[in-house]
Amino acid sequence: MLRVRLSAFLALLVLVLAACGQPAPSPAPTQAGGETPGATSAAALRVAMIIAQGGLGDQSYNDLANEGLTRAEQEFGIEAQRVESPDIVSQGEAVLRQAGTADFDVVIDLEWSTAEALTVIAPEFADTRWTFMNFPVNGDNVTSFVFAEHEGSYLAGALAALVTSDTAIPGINPEKVIGVIGGTKSTGIDKFLVGFIQGARDVDPDVEVLTSYTNDFGDAAKGQQAAEAMFEQGADIVFQVAGGAGLGVIQAAADAGVYAIGVDTDQSSIAPAAVLTSMIKRTDLAVYESVKRAIEGTLSGGETVNLDLAAGGVELGTIHPSVPQEYLDRVDELRQQIVSGQIKVWNVIEQGYPDFLSE
Amino acid sequence: MEVLHNTLVATALVSTPLLLAAMGGLINRQGGIVNIGLEANMLAGALAAVLVTWQTGNPFLGVLAAALAGTVIALPFSLVITRLGANEIIAGLGLNVLVAGLIGYLLPVALGVYGTFRPAGLQRLPRIDIPFVHDIPWIGPILSGKDPVTYLAWLLVPLIAAFLYRTTPGLRLRAAGSDLEAARAAGISAHRWRDLSTVLAGALAGIGGAQLSIGIVGLFGVGMIAGRGFIALAAFYFGAARPWPTAAAALLFGFFDAAQVRLQGQGIPVQLVQLLPYLVVVVTLTVVAITRARREGGVAVA
Repeated sequence: MLRVRLSAFLALLVLVLAACGQPAPSPAPTQAGGETPGATSAAALRVAMIIAQGGLGDQSYNDLANEGLTRAEQEFGIEAQRVESPDIVSQGEAVLRQAGTADFDVVIDLEWSTAEALTVIAPEFADTRWTFMNFPVNGDNVTSFVFAEHEGSYLAGALAALVTSDTAIPGINPEKVIGVIGGTKSTGIDKFLVGFIQGARDVDPDVEVLTSYTNDFGDAAKGQQAAEAMFEQGADIVFQVAGGAGLGVIQAAADAGVYAIGVDTDQSSIAPAAVLTSMIKRTDLAVYESVKRAIEGTLSGGETVNLDLAAGGVELGTIHPSVPQEYLDRVDELRQQIVSGQIKVWNVIEQGYPDFLSE
Repeated sequence: MEVLHNTLVATALVSTPLLLAAMGGLINRQGGIVNIGLEANMLAGALAAVLVTWQTGNPFLGVLAAALAGTVIALPFSLVITRLGANEIIAGLGLNVLVAGLIGYLLPVALGVYGTFRPAGLQRLPRIDIPFVHDIPWIGPILSGKDPVTYLAWLLVPLIAAFLYRTTPGLRLRAAGSDLEAARAAGISAHRWRDLSTVLAGALAGIGGAQLSIGIVGLFGVGMIAGRGFIALAAFYFGAARPWPTAAAALLFGFFDAAQVRLQGQGIPVQLVQLLPYLVVVVTLTVVAITRARREGGVAVA
């Protein structure tokens, strides 16, 4: 084991050294074949999935989406290709065009920065059905999947508000203060923040929710600083919506013996003792649903599919074992109320800013 | 008052990467090269520190590896400038792009991870409590309880000042930096001294990156340097490439960075608060430029 690690490490060093005197290798776009040998291709549907920045193996967004595609392959016996590009952001349009030219039946585009390119390219390849994630893209043959992050964040806020008042739980102080740290001040991120604050307030109006932004999605030290600043003000649970900077938030919580709430995927494994729960966005479900609808003939396009709490598009991940059952029951009750429409969670994207968070 | 105290407690720690990179940059500047590639040296140092600490379990070896990584990257960069006559700005920008791109490409190949490498149970640099100082109310936590690299960084400030201004090698380095031809005429192998200054800059910036990865957060991320190499550049410009004013600038920028996260949610619009550290950089550079122009006289400030 050590030898494998060491050789990988040495290989890295050698490559770094070698590269110092040479121009950077420019890898060609790779296409990882994803045929499932032995599967009877009854549907004969040809599917391509364009991998977003971060790539396969990111233990996050792309890997989760890939799980959905793998499941669809196994269940429907389809033929699917994963299209990876070393620089999907700048090559997005070219990659989309290649996918269109290759005559796929369905192209699932995971990369959010290609939205504009998709509005141009999708009409050119009218026989291909395109799907896009996270926000709506117009087009007669484009189906968009959006997630109700505000609803999932509401449940995270509710759980945090319940836990912060219970000093019997290790690490919890008497002060009713929690926090949420966003990557940038934008509606896409504030959608999480507002849901979180609303959930906390609905459970306990006395709970104070601190907010701040790292202004960077990669700066882990900044995330850690932002979290420490909140701990100084009495916060004992901080929700991170800041990507790589958010890993600093989780680290800070682990160092201080308090809690962080993860985002997008189940981040419990990063620091099991310090992650209270995670607000999971089920990209795997969106991918699976794309294929399923294509087979059923209902992936017609010109539609936005809302993967909300009721549809299972968002959910809470692994919950810390020290959380008492009664709180879990309460959160479940709130979940039912959101699903039944009894509780309306504020959606910043659609409704603008509420009075409790400034623009 | 409490916010101020908390900010001051955090300042020393968050200033260290800036301080080390700025010290490296100033030596390089004194040696005649404006180093735009500090960001790349820091990134390489941050990664080397995590890798070696992960393999050996010893964060001090990680710091050494970071210095080495910075050196290894700095040398060819310097040679390209001194021997091949490359433009230092272009070469520096190129280095930043090259190193970031290369690491982004190699992480998945060699380690099977994308963007972030966070080995479980990674040792971090210990925190040191200074006897007596630690117990002083209010002041104690501001000065004590930091990592050894932070104390090393501050120890280096007078050492670098002494080296540059009180030793023969320091004089040679500055001579090589200020006038290539004159230095040559005096029998100094100017290029070699310039290369040495770049290598020292690489090593110091590399250690700065290590403090960020194994001193503060305990992970490596491709975006973790987040422009600190450029803030360091502003710091040694502010300090006119002299050690103490440069250190003061690094501390000032670190202070406002620590203040920024603590002032959010205090009623001031977030966007304004986030501007603060950058505003301070722009304002100080402007003030420095104006006072310098005045002192030198004759230069009209329009």
